[in-house]
Amino acid sequence: MQVTVKLFASFRNDRFSKQDFEFEEGTTIEQVLNFFQIPLGEVGVTMINGRHRQMHDTLSENDVIGIFPLIGGG
Amino acid sequence: MLTELEKARYARQLQLDGIGLAGQQKLKEASVLIVGAGGLGCPLALYLAAAGVGKIGIIDNDRVSESNLHRQILYTMEDVGRYKVDAALERIQTLNPHISIEPMIDRLSEENAARLIAEYDLVLDGCDNFATRYLINDVCVKLNKVYIYGSVAEFTGQVSVFNHQGGPTYRCLYPEETSCNRQHDSLGVLGMLPGLIAMLQATETVKIICDLDDSLSGVVLVVDLRIGRFDKFTLVRQRD
Repeated sequence: MQVTVKLFASFRNDRFSKQDFEFEEGTTIEQVLNFFQIPLGEVGVTMINGRHRQMHDTLSENDVIGIFPLIGGG
Repeated sequence: MLTELEKARYARQLQLDGIGLAGQQKLKEASVLIVGAGGLGCPLALYLAAAGVGKIGIIDNDRVSESNLHRQILYTMEDVGRYKVDAALERIQTLNPHISIEPMIDRLSEENAARLIAEYDLVLDGCDNFATRYLINDVCVKLNKVYIYGSVAEFTGQVSVFNHQGGPTYRCLYPEETSCNRQHDSLGVLGMLPGLIAMLQATETVKIICDLDDSLSGVVLVVDLRIGRFDKFTLVRQRD
C-alpha cells in the first residue's frame, strides 16, 4: 500500500520533508519509525491523516503519516 | 468598571467585534499565571499586559544572562544578573500601570503548584521542561483551570489549549512522561520563534477570556519557521 510520510523539524535532517513509500498492509507507526531509523525516544507526536495517533496504530492505503520530534523548550 | 483613562488606552481594542466594553471588562477582571519568564514568558507578559489583563502572576527563579537577550525581549543589558521577575515587573508596570503584576522568585513545584494555580483563572506555559508541563497540566485538570500550552525548539514550535471545556490535556499529547534525551536548554532556538508562539498563546488567552469563537482546544498548531509551514492536527481527549 502507498503511504505518504511527512517529517517535521529535526527529523527532516538528512532524510526528507514529504515523500511517498510502499509499506505492507498492517504496518504500524512504530514500524515506520524503525524503517527510517528514527529513535523512538526522540519522537513526540505521530499523526495519521491529521489526527493524533499512537505507536501501535496501523496504517491504511493512502494514509498520510506525520512525525514530530519532542518539543519542550520555552 | 473601566475608567476613562482605560477606555482611551484600549480604544482600538474596544472597537473590535466580540470585545467591546464587555470584553475589556472581562480582561480587566481576569487573572493569568505565567510559568517561566523566558522566551515565551516575556512576550506573553508584554502582550497580555498591553491588552489589559487585570492580574498577571509571573513565577521564575532565574536571573537574566546575556545569552537570553536574543529572544527574551523584556530585558536589556542593564538587567543582566537581576532576577527576571524583578526586571519584568519594572518593564510591565511602565507599559501598563492599570494592571496588577505579581512577581514570584520561585519555581513551580509539587509543593506550591496547587496553591498558586488556584489563585488564577488560566495558566500560561512559559516553561522550558517536560516535568513542569506535566505538573501544570495535572494541577489544572484537578482544579479545572485552562492551560495555554506553548513550546519551542530550534525552528519549530507548538501551541494548544488544554483542559478547556472538557477538551484534551497535555497528557493526551504526551501520554507517557518523557525525559527527553536532548537537553532543551542546550538546543538552539531562533529568537523570533518563542515570540511568535507566545503571541499565539496570548491570542488564545484573550479569546478564552472574552468568549471569542473557537479556541485551539482539541487542535495542536505546529509552526516550522525554517520552511515557513503552519500545520494543525486534531487531538482527542484520551483520559484524565
